[in-house]
Amino acid sequence: MVENTPNALCFGDEFPASGAPCLVHVEDHGLTITFSPDRDGAESRSESLRFSELTVSAGGLDHDQLVATWVGLKGQRTLYLKSPDVIRAFRQAAPDHLSQPLERAAEQVRQVRQRHRMVWGIVGGVLLVVMLGLWFGSDVLVELAVDRIPVEWERKLGESTYRDFLAHQDVMKEGPAVDAVNEMIHRLTGQIPENPYTFEVTVVKSDVVNAFALPGGYIVVFTGLMKKAESGEEVAGVLAHELNHVLQRHGLERIIKQLGFVAVVSIVLGNPPGLGGMMKQLGVELMTLKFGRAQETEADLTGLELLYRAKIDPSGMITFFQRLAEKDEGRVEWLSTHPMSNARAERLKTQLAEMPKQNPEPFTFDWTNVRASQGAPPSTPP
Amino acid sequence: MKSEILYPGAFPMVRVELAEGEHIKAESGAMVACSPTIDIESKMEGGFLGALSRKFLTGEKFFFQTLRASRGAGEVLLAPTVPGEIIVMELDGVSEYMVQKDGFLAGAAGVVIDSQMQSMSRGLLGGEGFFILKMSGKGMLALNSFGAIHKIELKPGQEYIVDNSHLVAWSTTTTYNIEKATSGWVASFTSGEGFVCRFRGPGVVYIQSRNPGSFGAWVRQFIPVSQ
Repeated sequence: MVENTPNALCFGDEFPASGAPCLVHVEDHGLTITFSPDRDGAESRSESLRFSELTVSAGGLDHDQLVATWVGLKGQRTLYLKSPDVIRAFRQAAPDHLSQPLERAAEQVRQVRQRHRMVWGIVGGVLLVVMLGLWFGSDVLVELAVDRIPVEWERKLGESTYRDFLAHQDVMKEGPAVDAVNEMIHRLTGQIPENPYTFEVTVVKSDVVNAFALPGGYIVVFTGLMKKAESGEEVAGVLAHELNHVLQRHGLERIIKQLGFVAVVSIVLGNPPGLGGMMKQLGVELMTLKFGRAQETEADLTGLELLYRAKIDPSGMITFFQRLAEKDEGRVEWLSTHPMSNARAERLKTQLAEMPKQNPEPFTFDWTNVRASQGAPPSTPP
Repeated sequence: MKSEILYPGAFPMVRVELAEGEHIKAESGAMVACSPTIDIESKMEGGFLGALSRKFLTGEKFFFQTLRASRGAGEVLLAPTVPGEIIVMELDGVSEYMVQKDGFLAGAAGVVIDSQMQSMSRGLLGGEGFFILKMSGKGMLALNSFGAIHKIELKPGQEYIVDNSHLVAWSTTTTYNIEKATSGWVASFTSGEGFVCRFRGPGVVYIQSRNPGSFGAWVRQFIPVSQ
């Protein structure tokens, strides 16, 4: 084997600190180390070492080099072997007294590698868990973020959308319908403890069967919805539901979900004012926000309780929802944003059945008059 | 191939003389001037994936430039981006060096550049990131630093402590542990050192006399904030 490229580094007092390149041959009795001829202009020189003179260990940056040390004529020498071939040959040729430290060194290398793998595995696993946690636990984060948004700021957000919307609508300023809605709202809001919102309700003249609530307490009722209702309690049911969307801050939750994780983080870390700009940037329109199923159920149930507390007959809410769902005539827009399902009605009925009976207090207005003022026929055919 | 450092000190350049057919690779953008016989090629060292991993993992440039004396002998002048010294060393085929990501300036054709993953503690606390460059092979290797380069020579078992952001390159026969600068956590950071690397010989550690991160922070305070 005539190979002259060095395969090891030798360290010792007379060598440079970076080590002297040398060629190591493994033989039966030990090692032959040949130093390159060009060093110090000297001739190529060789040194023979017996295995009995050596002590071995693992070393180097990644603990993957075989380190052999011995005491020579000129003090201690250290040899760093990296080439796998040489290390293999060394392990094969080494006598018994070296095989134990060699095994220990090999074991050390294995342990270091295993530890690296394990640490990276753990870190990878933790990252994965964190990501999954964020994915599935985002609701918790969303709630945290929503809690940090002041009501005042939520009002501003809702108000601008509300004014923009009303600017293009035929708003009813007065009349029996407005009075009726105001009475409903008054009775309902009177039963909300620690209400941070000042609700503002507008009746809009339109045949669209709809009513919606914007963040901050802005509620719009369309006369189309009132025409469809057979009693004031039915409309009050819808209003109770909408009021609870506001109270539970469902709108904000949806916005933040749509804006995504970045928004959540920036709010949790304390930068709510940035959200308005972000919303505009992303073109999220409050009007098109749809609530989630869980939010609808929450608004239903809390709405039902609110009706109960306000002593308004809650069964009106259920029958109205069902009737709207069954007879899908005309543009019942309220259904597209509030999809009705039997499960939802059943849930409400169960809830209602659990509540103790009470005698509802009727409204002061006559619903027939209110509907008549809208130009609706005296009574809707059954 | 012959190389020479011009204007040693803060603003040096390295001149490399290439015989016909010889080539060197250099950090992308390092070429200052060259003979008309030199062709500049851009090359993804280590193939596309290698280059990609180097780009994303070490933050090194995606492309290295290859300067080839294809039409006759010629010379190339190379310089790093930051003010600081250049050292030229000769890899002998056995010695290997780990180089922090901004430290590589140029290398002969026989120099092999790998990005290598560090252990978790070194990656997190060492200040070099999880991936660093490993230089092996044979031939001329030029490294650059921010500030002056200082060489620390370590005998077997000898130890030395280096602030992690001052590292430039170290031989793979050394080993190091990351430690707090002082025994207490608070003092460790109030002393301004944070973490340090305890190197253990044998081998060579090249350090730079300035800390690029701290310098950046210092400069930032003078940059006018635009509205």
